[in-house]
Amino acid sequence: MESKFSNSVNRRFHRRSLVVMVLYVLSLAVMSQAIDHLHPKGMALYLLALLPALPIVAAIVIIALYLSEQKDEFVRTLQIESMLWGVGATLTVTTIWGALEKFAHIRPMSLFLVYPLCCVFVFLARVVVKRRYR
Amino acid sequence: MFCSIKNPTERRYVIRMWIMAALCVLFSLVAALVFRHSRPHGILSYLVAVLPALPIMGALIYTGVYLAEEKDEFQRNLLVQSLLGGTGGILAVTTAWGYMEDFARAPHLDLVWVYPLFWLFAGISYGLVRARYR
Repeated sequence: MESKFSNSVNRRFHRRSLVVMVLYVLSLAVMSQAIDHLHPKGMALYLLALLPALPIVAAIVIIALYLSEQKDEFVRTLQIESMLWGVGATLTVTTIWGALEKFAHIRPMSLFLVYPLCCVFVFLARVVVKRRYR
Repeated sequence: MFCSIKNPTERRYVIRMWIMAALCVLFSLVAALVFRHSRPHGILSYLVAVLPALPIMGALIYTGVYLAEEKDEFQRNLLVQSLLGGTGGILAVTTAWGYMEDFARAPHLDLVWVYPLFWLFAGISYGLVRARYR
């Protein structure tokens, strides 16, 4: 059972994640509208394109904060283990895909898919790791 | 070279990682030569393209083995924090670059760079975490 403190940490994590998700959707809408209507060029275009990446960076910081604030060692270990498996799987897939792109000329994978791919693997790893501790 | 490492688990890990790095270079050369000289097609091209990714998978597995074998909790914690730092760094960079690629037509970053970039960030992270504990 999770402690009261752990629950408040979880609550804070979910609240922050929700804010970041809203910011992400907003920044995506702002970016695509600005590119469609203002047709920026050069540095302005790069900065606009970077806009939706900022909430994603914030989401990564929020995960780091969650890990440092989480006092329940079991929950933290569970999360860290899942993240390590998740990143291992992501690096494996990106390396294989990269090699296939380079040598076998398969369809290139967009780099911004790396983050959601990692999230999927972390989620799957969490299910497996959690089951192992039951 | 490896004798200076007193911890046997760490020494084993470093030796295994060097072997995997050497295999990665060797397999990359083999794959590049095969594609340059015999231009394989179909399933054979996929198999040859995947060849350099195998030692990388081996390195990831050995990192997991090291984390499971390492009895020194401080050392394990140091590596875990560095890996998490590396994860955050690589996810932030790939997301930012991905958006710039898709919306600002930045040059395509090959997926094969994700793995070395991950270790670069993990290395920087390792230095920072170590400095914090001094």
